[in-house]
Amino acid sequence: MTDQTPPDRDLDGTSDGDGRTLEPWEVFRREKDGDPMRHGGSVMAPDALLAVHYARELYGRRQESVALWVVRRADIHDLADPDLLQPPLDRSFKKPGGYVMRDKLAAARQQSGQAKPKARSGQPKRPTGPAGTADR
Amino acid sequence: MTTTRSALSASIDPAAEAVLDELILSMADDEFVIGFSDSEWTGIAPILEEDIAMSSLAQDELGHARALYELLAELRGAGQTADAIAYDREPADYRHARLLDHGRGDWAMTIARRYLYDTADGSRLEGLAKSSFAPLRELVDKIRREERYHVMHATTWLERLARHPGEPRDRLIASLEELAPDAATVFTPLDGEALLVETGLIAESMAALEARWRATITPLFVGLDLPMPPPGDLDGGRTTHGEPFRWLWGEFTSVRRSDPGAIW
Repeated sequence: MTDQTPPDRDLDGTSDGDGRTLEPWEVFRREKDGDPMRHGGSVMAPDALLAVHYARELYGRRQESVALWVVRRADIHDLADPDLLQPPLDRSFKKPGGYVMRDKLAAARQQSGQAKPKARSGQPKRPTGPAGTADR
Repeated sequence: MTTTRSALSASIDPAAEAVLDELILSMADDEFVIGFSDSEWTGIAPILEEDIAMSSLAQDELGHARALYELLAELRGAGQTADAIAYDREPADYRHARLLDHGRGDWAMTIARRYLYDTADGSRLEGLAKSSFAPLRELVDKIRREERYHVMHATTWLERLARHPGEPRDRLIASLEELAPDAATVFTPLDGEALLVETGLIAESMAALEARWRATITPLFVGLDLPMPPPGDLDGGRTTHGEPFRWLWGEFTSVRRSDPGAIW
């Protein structure tokens, strides 16, 4: 939101609702710096400017948000087709949980006789040599 | 005024203190009265969202009033409290502008009053942004950051009503015409205000602030073809309160008067 007088197209209703009928707008809010935007809820408003005003009052008046996004619900493309999102066949092999590496790694190490590498912080310091030659 | 001066008033030219007291009281009463008037929309505004928005604006104004009354109580010292100043006076002793004395009215009246008051208040706050009285300057800085949104909200609605021919525009113009004679009463000169200007407590006289206010709102009024309020009669602009205010006073003091002296 800015304190500039908004351009006419936002007020005469040609681009942001007809200015007479209420429609739903979805409000996303950021709770604190660094957080992702999360859906907060919705407001009814006749146009974008009033939608932003109402979003500010419903989702920001108690200082619970540091930023808001207000999107006309009609502008959201939705997908809720179960065939596309919840197909009937087993898909567990697509989940990261399907690959448990720990046991496979342990078996491979045992076979090759290698010990498990120590954590980085436990490694001894490199021997010091003439400047700039240590890694060559 | 007591003979022993409060700690806070020690930094102020003693002669200017009474005028400063009057200035802070008039600002606090303005915010208090418009806050209560607008809170009458709670539960009956045009739509739920606007109901919450208007109620929230009304709470903001009461918050500003509280901060100003608290500053005034500290300035006066001698055991004064913000609540006592806010509630324990007779209607004739309130010093809000007559602009705020027209009753709640319809939605167009509320928007017209809010726009005229918020813009006038903005001009007055601008005049205090560099006040030599630090506690007031610091408070004004915080209030201005909230009032910016109030002006945006009022402007948004004023434009919508003005641009829709028929009932919305007709009602808006009727309200502006009813308020016109009192529109400038926010700038009613204070007794001895020259002293406030001399000591840097306020940047300019009320008359100069009124001129700034008119310059600020003229482009929008011209653009929307709305009647600019003519120069008004500011005589008694903060002292003559009519029947609508007596009714409002009865409402907002009713709980406090029901048990005088109670600790809430």
